[in-house]
Amino acid sequence: MNEWSLSRRSMVKAMLLGSSAPWLLNSTAFAGSCDDHVVRLGVTSSPDSMNPFATWASFAPTAYTYDFLVGIDAQRHSDRKGFAKEWSVGEDNLTWTFKIWPDMKWSDGKPASARDVAFTYNYLRDSIGRPDELNVGWNNTSGLANVQSITAIDDETLQMVTKVPTRWPVDNYIMIVPEHIWKDISYADARGGFPNDPPLVGTGPMIVSEFRRSQFARLTPNQYFRTGRPATAGMILNLFPTVDSIAQGLKTGDLDYGFGLMAAQWADLSKNPSIVVGKSRTENRIFLAFNTLSEKGAGSTKALQDPAFRDAIGYAVDQKAIVDRAMRGHADPGVGLVFPAATDYYSDLSDIARHFDLAEASRRLDAAGYRDNDGDGVREDKEGKGFQLELITSSGGGSNGAIPITTLQLIAGWLGQIGVPVSVTQLDDSAFSARARAPENGGGGWDLLVGSNWLSPAPSDLLVLGSSAAVGTSNPSYWTNEKFENLLAQVNVTVDLKTSQELLDQAVRLIYTEAPYIVLCYPFMLEARRKDCFEGWGTNDIVSAWSYFPFDRLRPV
Amino acid sequence: MASNGKDSRTSHGIVKVIVRAAVTLLMVTVLNFTLFRVLPGDATSLLLGGARAAVSNEQIEAQRRNWGLDKPIFPNQLLDYMQATARGDLGYSFKFRGQRVSDLLLERLPATIALVGVAQIIAILCGVMLGIYAGWRRGGVIDNVATSVALALYSTPAFWLGMVSVVIFSTALAWFPAYGAYSPGVSTEFLDRIVDYLRHLVLPASTVALGLIGQYVLVARAAMSDVVSEDYMVTARAKGLTSGQMLMRHGFRNAMLPVVTLVTLNLGYVVAGAITVESVFAWPGVGGLTVEALNARDYPVLQGVFLLLGASIVVANLIADLAYGILDPRVKQ
Repeated sequence: MNEWSLSRRSMVKAMLLGSSAPWLLNSTAFAGSCDDHVVRLGVTSSPDSMNPFATWASFAPTAYTYDFLVGIDAQRHSDRKGFAKEWSVGEDNLTWTFKIWPDMKWSDGKPASARDVAFTYNYLRDSIGRPDELNVGWNNTSGLANVQSITAIDDETLQMVTKVPTRWPVDNYIMIVPEHIWKDISYADARGGFPNDPPLVGTGPMIVSEFRRSQFARLTPNQYFRTGRPATAGMILNLFPTVDSIAQGLKTGDLDYGFGLMAAQWADLSKNPSIVVGKSRTENRIFLAFNTLSEKGAGSTKALQDPAFRDAIGYAVDQKAIVDRAMRGHADPGVGLVFPAATDYYSDLSDIARHFDLAEASRRLDAAGYRDNDGDGVREDKEGKGFQLELITSSGGGSNGAIPITTLQLIAGWLGQIGVPVSVTQLDDSAFSARARAPENGGGGWDLLVGSNWLSPAPSDLLVLGSSAAVGTSNPSYWTNEKFENLLAQVNVTVDLKTSQELLDQAVRLIYTEAPYIVLCYPFMLEARRKDCFEGWGTNDIVSAWSYFPFDRLRPV
Repeated sequence: MASNGKDSRTSHGIVKVIVRAAVTLLMVTVLNFTLFRVLPGDATSLLLGGARAAVSNEQIEAQRRNWGLDKPIFPNQLLDYMQATARGDLGYSFKFRGQRVSDLLLERLPATIALVGVAQIIAILCGVMLGIYAGWRRGGVIDNVATSVALALYSTPAFWLGMVSVVIFSTALAWFPAYGAYSPGVSTEFLDRIVDYLRHLVLPASTVALGLIGQYVLVARAAMSDVVSEDYMVTARAKGLTSGQMLMRHGFRNAMLPVVTLVTLNLGYVVAGAITVESVFAWPGVGGLTVEALNARDYPVLQGVFLLLGASIVVANLIADLAYGILDPRVKQ
């Protein structure tokens, strides 16, 4: 009996412990409340440093600290400018002039001028061809080989002369860094060793002031921001390994905004009265690629090299069903290479678009000579071999988000119904990219591939799936075509938007007809925000994917 | 003379155990090197920014030379790796450019030791006491309940327990934070920061502890059940000892042998972290680092993590072997 009785002393201890619980549980030190006016975000990225020359992974949060010269948002929205206030191109289509905001300052109070812009671009350009060329991070040399000179005419005027006509000077998204911080950093260090530890010095609205790897980045308002110090008290970017924590954080009020949500989480959050959900069109596209190689790395059948075979398969793919069943409605059905988010170049190709019709697919396969001659339910190729195609994909989806396995199951089901059996192989990201590489680098040997591609809406990026220069990287079908290559070359040296649109349309129609890819869908970015702490968010796109909007103008409620 | 002979046999036994541990560690090191290189994929694309920018073949080759990836894996890379490891140099991370692997591990270890260490202490105290008591009072209510709950906990994935605890204690009740180890920038007061850390620790540590408690309860109960039916316990009762005296003087110590083995082996995992639980709670420990390194095919970090894990388990085994000799005189003989 005695061993179970409670002593007076232990009772007192228990009461003391119990009395501390309310303090522990309710301490304001931990509450994600609105009172501190700090905006809390959740992202699943994992920045390794704050050095934009060394890594791709630090876009969030460095994009809130550094400005682009112009960039995508500034061309789409009159109220979302970057480092340049205005820009124009001369009649030669080679000479670009940028007017920098007058009296702009870096976050450390030093003047920010056209000389900093010239320094940033020249710093990158001068590294071209060196062993330690700056080509490994967000700020990289891509596109700079076409630039003849970058000169600061005065503090507020920058002139960029290109070797060929190109829109690169306004389309590029290089972050402008301060010369007084970076001028003494060697290329070897900029490429890797220099961590660019906080507090950073930038011209954006929020300055990274603390960074704990794999935990968070804390940003403080830039008192010298060109439109005035932001009204919020700063931002905290919480870094998560999975998106589950983001959904939970939004529910508990620990987070004000999160993106990259899964469909089920998004649907769950949409029922929460404190939360506004949104979905934005992105530059992401999910496609089915055919292995068009004919020699080393070729697929299991020569039919993959036949446009008629690929075209027929295109009739056996129901993009609407993929959107409805695999993407749960959170995507636009795929048609051509250009996604609806590229508003300047989008065309729905309705006059030539294929429609889902298994009978039509079968008829076209028959007409192209791929019949089931032995009556076993499986068609044979022109060599008399029964089809058995391998469809590969990545289980992780890389940085573009996972591709639902239902997508592949649907495709395998449809192709099976027209006598083209397909086996699906899911690989981890690294193994997948190893197989998708160019054959000289050990890739190839597969038949079909479902992948995704998320670049910018610039014409060269829109057409990269068919670019010979990108074979085995951004062009996983290995498809090349001389006419397409010529069109791509012309687009790359065209400044006039209308001419660009016409050239791009020709290229898009050509690759659609040749069908090395069947574009399956253009996924949306699913996002959510709480409405109790801040106002001034976007409506269609709550947060821009290409700039610091709306964190420069959010206001506490 | 007889004593000297016994001492010599004991020393010989200890040396044998240590040599066996050293050989195991060597094998772990070689396996560790081989394992990651036979996986498909190549780290070169990671070193070049995921091939998103235009990269020439010369630059790819320069990177491969720079990181020693151009040499044959066997024997050159293996020998380089073994020599460096022997010097305590675990190399540089591919993903976290410029960072030494040893620095990265040291940066993450405190969080992991805090998480798994606290969880182990809770699990050992609760699990062993409950298991011993359940075994002592076999067939009673506490035994039945403890065994059922322990079985359920033992067979439940820790990450699932973690997700459920987040939904209940963080989302629904808002008692504890759901993720991370700190609330960034909220307070600079030392006490606030400590309490903040402890609050963040509660859910992940409880999750790991719950998973471990099941093991301890089941092993301790089985051991005590065996001891209770031994002849010497009947003798002890015949001598007139009370239940408490029998439990503490004869039962507990004899039941401890399998429990000590389990505790020691589990302690080996303290430095390795709890990968799934750290992922669920975004806990910044070695487990989270392992996931990041796996995703990035960061060989040097993965090698470092697995070497650390291998070494800690080998050392834990060694301690278990030596502790056996102390707890059970028959083993020493």
